[in-house]
Amino acid sequence: MNRELPFFPPDQFGDDDRAELTRLIREIGLDPDQRFILGTFTRQFEELLREQLGAKDVIACSSGTSALTLLLRAMEVGPGDEVIVPAFGCAPLAATVVNLGATPVFADIVEHTMVMDPDEAQRLIGPRTKVLMPAHMFSVMADMPRFAEIARQHGIRLLEDSAVAQGGVLGGRQAGTWGDGGVFSFVQVKTFGTAGEGGAVVTGDAELGTAVRMLRNHGQDGKTRFRHHRIGENSRFDEIQAAFQIHRFPGLAARLERRARIAEYYHSRFAPLASHGVLPPPPGREGRCYYVYCLLARRRNELRDVLAQRGIRTHVYYPKPLPLQRAFRAYAPTGARWPHAEQACARILALPIYPHLTDDDVTYIADAVCEFQEDTNPCNPSRMT
Amino acid sequence: MELVTDSHSGAGSRERTGIPFFTQSRGFEQLWPHILENLDRVFDNGKYSHGAQVAELEERLAIYTGARYVVGVNSGTDALVLLLRAAGLRPGDGVVVPAFSFVATASAPALAGGVPQFADIDPVTYAMDAGSMESAVTARSRFAMPAHLFCQMADMVRLESVCSRRGLTMLEDSAEAIGMRLAGIHAGLHGRGGVLSFFPSKTLGALGDAGAVLTDDPAIAELVSALRHHGRGGRTVDNFPGISHETEIVGMNSKMDDIQAAVLLAKLARLDEDIARRGELAAAYSERLSGMAGIVQVPTTASHRSADRSVFYVYLVEVEKRDDLVEFLAGRGIETETYYPTPLPMQPCFANLGYRRGQFPHAEAACARAVALPLYPDLTVDEVDRVCETIAEFYLGSSLRQGAS
Repeated sequence: MNRELPFFPPDQFGDDDRAELTRLIREIGLDPDQRFILGTFTRQFEELLREQLGAKDVIACSSGTSALTLLLRAMEVGPGDEVIVPAFGCAPLAATVVNLGATPVFADIVEHTMVMDPDEAQRLIGPRTKVLMPAHMFSVMADMPRFAEIARQHGIRLLEDSAVAQGGVLGGRQAGTWGDGGVFSFVQVKTFGTAGEGGAVVTGDAELGTAVRMLRNHGQDGKTRFRHHRIGENSRFDEIQAAFQIHRFPGLAARLERRARIAEYYHSRFAPLASHGVLPPPPGREGRCYYVYCLLARRRNELRDVLAQRGIRTHVYYPKPLPLQRAFRAYAPTGARWPHAEQACARILALPIYPHLTDDDVTYIADAVCEFQEDTNPCNPSRMT
Repeated sequence: MELVTDSHSGAGSRERTGIPFFTQSRGFEQLWPHILENLDRVFDNGKYSHGAQVAELEERLAIYTGARYVVGVNSGTDALVLLLRAAGLRPGDGVVVPAFSFVATASAPALAGGVPQFADIDPVTYAMDAGSMESAVTARSRFAMPAHLFCQMADMVRLESVCSRRGLTMLEDSAEAIGMRLAGIHAGLHGRGGVLSFFPSKTLGALGDAGAVLTDDPAIAELVSALRHHGRGGRTVDNFPGISHETEIVGMNSKMDDIQAAVLLAKLARLDEDIARRGELAAAYSERLSGMAGIVQVPTTASHRSADRSVFYVYLVEVEKRDDLVEFLAGRGIETETYYPTPLPMQPCFANLGYRRGQFPHAEAACARAVALPLYPDLTVDEVDRVCETIAEFYLGSSLRQGAS
C-alpha cells in the first residue's frame, strides 16, 4: 500500500505542542510587561543553551543566516577581506560574505562526507584571508580539529557554520563550540526547529559576544536607549519563539536520539548498496548530526522518481555548487573546478529522517530504496524496530 | 514599557497601577477568538514562516493600502534595506534622509552599502524639509528617503519636486505610516516604494518583529521577494518546493513568521476603528494641553483636505524642561518615550560622516524638547486626564516653586 511521506512533516508539532504554543501566545499577548522581543524568555533561552553548551555567550537572533552575518561583522569582515567557504552548501555561506563587501573563496569538499576539505581550504589561504568558515552538512560534521589547527597556524578566525548540527558531538565537543563563533538555526525544519524563524550565535569569546549583542539591536549597548554606537541590524528574537523553545528543549535529546536511531537503521539497510551505486553517509554517532539523511546515488533522478511513485518525498540539496550558481559566479576564478562538489550535486538525494516517522514508515522508505536496486538485490531485508 | 509593580499588593503581583507607554492587552483579549482561528490555520497548514498566513496578510495589506505589491519580511528595518537594494542602490550611493527619525532611516542606507546624507526637518511635521533636502544633495546622491513620523506625512509635493529637479529616486520610510494618505494615495506609494513596520507598539503591531515592503513597481516587488529568501527566484511564499529554486541574486533571510501574520490579520480587521480611537485620544490630549504652561507645541496636522488622512501613531509634544518632566511623570507611574534624544548625524555610528552640532537646528530643537505620551486604543480618556493633570501639576508646581524663590 502506498503512503504519503513528506520530506519535512507538516505535523511536526503534536497536540501538546499546539496547546502549549497557543497558551504561550495568549499569556505573552496579555502579559503586563507587554514586552514581545528580547525579553525574559529570550534571556532564559539563551542561558539554557549557554549552560548546555558550556559556552561563554549565546545570543539569540532572527535567523541562522543573520547569525552568520552578525559574527562576520563582529569579526570585522569587510571589503578586501576573503573568507574561505565550502563550494557545496547553502547560499548564506557565500551570500553573507558578499553582502559585507568581502570575497568568498570556494574550497572543494570531501567526496563522501560532502563537508569542506581541510587540505583544499588550507591551499586557498592567502594574505587577505580573514576567516575560515567550514559548515557541517546534512549528517556529518566538518573536520573541526583540523580546521581549528589550520586557523591557529595561520592566525585567522574560525567561524563554524553549525546551523544544521545542533546536538552533534565531535571529539567530546559539541557542534557550535569549535570555532571562535558558531551558529544555530531554529527555522522549523532544523533539529531544534521552532514555530517560525530564529537563530543563535554561540561563542567562547566574550568580546565577540558583546559585539554581536550590540549589532543585533541597532548598535545599542542594552543600557542607553536610542544611543547607537555602531550601525546595527534588526536581528532580534521574539518572546513567543523563546518561550516555545524553552518548552521544547527537554524533548530535544530524545528527538535527536530518534534521528540517530533511524540513521543507524538506514545504514544497516544501505551499507550493502555502496558497491551498487547508492552510498549512504558514514555510520556512527561521532561527529554526526542527522538533520537530513543524504545518499549519493549514481542514478539519482531515477531513484528520486521511484521513491516519489511510492509517495516518498525526497529533496536534492543542492543542484549546483555555490560558485556555479548565478548569484556567485562572479566570485568563481576562471577555469576553477570543484569536482567533488559537482559530483555531490549530481548524486545527492536526501531522505526523510524526522523523529516522528514511525518504524513502519522508516522500513517502508528503506524497502523502497533497496527495491530500486532489486536487479542486484544486495539489500538486507530487516525491519526497523 | 517597564513593569510598574504595586509594592503593597504582595510578592508576585503583576498588576499595573500606572499608565504604561504602550499596551495592547485589552484589544488582544477582545480579538483573541479571531486570533485563535488564524493560529489554528497556521497549525493545520504546518508552515510556520513564509507560509499561508503571510501570503494572506500580503494580499489584505495590498487591498488596505492600495499597493499593487506587498512583500512581507522580518522587520521594518529589513524592509528598508531590501527596498534600497531592490531600487538599485550601488555601493557608495548617497541617500538623503532626515536628521530626526528612528536610526533605521539612516542605518538602512548604510547596511545596504550606501551613505546617508542628512537634511534638517520641518518643525511642524518633523519630516524632512524640502529646502534642506535640496542643500544636502551632492554628486553622489541618488535617492531621497523622507520618513513620515508620528501623525502625518512629509510634504511629498515639495520633496517630489526636488527629487525630479535633482534626478533622485524617491523612496519612503513609511514604517510608522500605515493608514496615512496624501491626495488619496497611501504612504509608501508616492515614490518607487515604501515600507511598513509591525513592531508591537505600531498602529498595526505584531507580537514580535515583522515588516513589509509596499510598491506599485513589479520589478522592485520581484527583487525584494527574491532577496528576502536567499535570492531565490519565483514564488517561495506559501510554496515549500520553492526552496529548490536556484540562487539568482545575492540575498539574505528575512521571512515573516506566520504566527505574527495571524495576529496582524486579526488586528488589521479592526485597524480603522483603532485609528479613529487614536484620533479621539489625540484630540483629547490637545484639548487639555493646548496653551498649558510649559507646553511649547502640540501636534498640528498640516492639511484637512478630505483626500489626506493623518493617523496618530504617536502623540508627541514639545515641552520645557523635558527630562525633568519625564522623570516626574515616571515617578507618578506614567511612562513616556523620548522620540528622539539625539539627531541622527550626532549618533556615534555616524561620527565618521563629520556632521556638527548646529547644522540641523530644527532636529536639534526637537531632540531637546520632544516627548511622546501614552497613546493606544486601550487607553481611556480618564487616563488622558490623569496624564494631563500630572503634567499640569509638574509645571504649576515648578512655577510655584520658582515664584516662591
